Amino acid sequence: MNLSRRSARPVLSTHNVHEVGIMESALALVARHAAGHGDRRVSRVVLRIGALAGVEIESLCFAFGVVSRGTVAEGADFEIEEVPVAVYCHGCHLEFAVETGGFIFTCPNCGDLCGEIRRGRELELSRIEMT
Amino acid sequence: MCLECGCNHPVPFGVKVLSVIAPGLLKPRVPDGPHTIEVHASLLAQNDDAAARNRARFASHGMLALNLLSSPGAGKTTLLSRTVDVFGHEQRCAVLVGDLETDNDARRIHRPHLPVVQITTGTACHLDAEMIARGLDTLSLDGVRVMFIENVGNLVCPAAFDLGETKRVVLLSATEGEDKPLKYPPIFKSADLVLLTKIDVADALGFDIATAVENIRRIAPQAELIQLSARSGEGMDEWHDFLRHHLPV
Ligand SMILES: [Zn+2]
Ligand SMILES: [Zn+2]
Repeated sequence: MNLSRRSARPVLSTHNVHEVGIMESALALVARHAAGHGDRRVSRVVLRIGALAGVEIESLCFAFGVVSRGTVAEGADFEIEEVPVAVYCHGCHLEFAVETGGFIFTCPNCGDLCGEIRRGRELELSRIEMT
Repeated sequence: MCLECGCNHPVPFGVKVLSVIAPGLLKPRVPDGPHTIEVHASLLAQNDDAAARNRARFASHGMLALNLLSSPGAGKTTLLSRTVDVFGHEQRCAVLVGDLETDNDARRIHRPHLPVVQITTGTACHLDAEMIARGLDTLSLDGVRVMFIENVGNLVCPAAFDLGETKRVVLLSATEGEDKPLKYPPIFKSADLVLLTKIDVADALGFDIATAVENIRRIAPQAELIQLSARSGEGMDEWHDFLRHHLPV
């Protein structure tokens, strides 16, 4: 079995299905904007993805390659702005950032865990650029 | 003029755009130049609109709607079967079951006089609000006070998809790891209630309930927590009390 050849071509697995669905929504929106601009070719697509959005960045990049094929965004640069979590402590009137990877949101001032999640759930089409 | 963004950015004929980007350099060009459209639209907008319509529909029927989420095998179906057998005699219940094609959960829950509809998601890994709306269309909702929505067994994908539910319930079973809440934070952070299920087998499996509770409290401090076993019946009263307490008046 030629493993290197197998891995050279990513396979659409169940792990990517979710991100493919998200990407289809994103590119449908891109296509509507492009149509409004005379179907100009899209050169860059920028998404904003929160750390709590529940999508895998790697799968999303893969999905872009697959889903953009044959659309106005084929061959475009794909960029993701990752949004770190920001939490607001109502007791201290303090907003604090949470570094990626840590999901226990302890207020640095009072130690409370119950802060309100203000950023980090984003799943947005941020910007498109056209040639 | 783009109808999507309402912008009016034709590039005048003959104008040459001078800013150039080096290949591979991922920096925006002119931030609001003629070729850039700042969209800032949620990719979940369509789902969220449908969820809002579902929510209004549940409210108009005076219905409590619960979105139940867990890994496969955490006991959603068993819990629902027991719940409709006991609590179902007190309040009229209905069930929407999201199934991959191979599953048979809807059949297991089926009872005479209990409206159940199976939503086959095909390859989709989560239920979305439009699937729920279509499912509701096929059910007789008269007198139904509690709508259980059994989501697809998956702790990742369903997290971001609002179905219009009143309360979101996440299950963690004693057959899983105590650290699961730490591994799937988005879904636990979105929970209104966490059910620690199958506690009757915790000892036998070496599952440390105290550690699991501590992890849930740290990851999901916003959520209520109930420990139960649908099989032994332990904790089921507390679960039924939760349902009674959140019934719309
Ligand atoms: Zn604080
Ligand atoms: Zn999904």
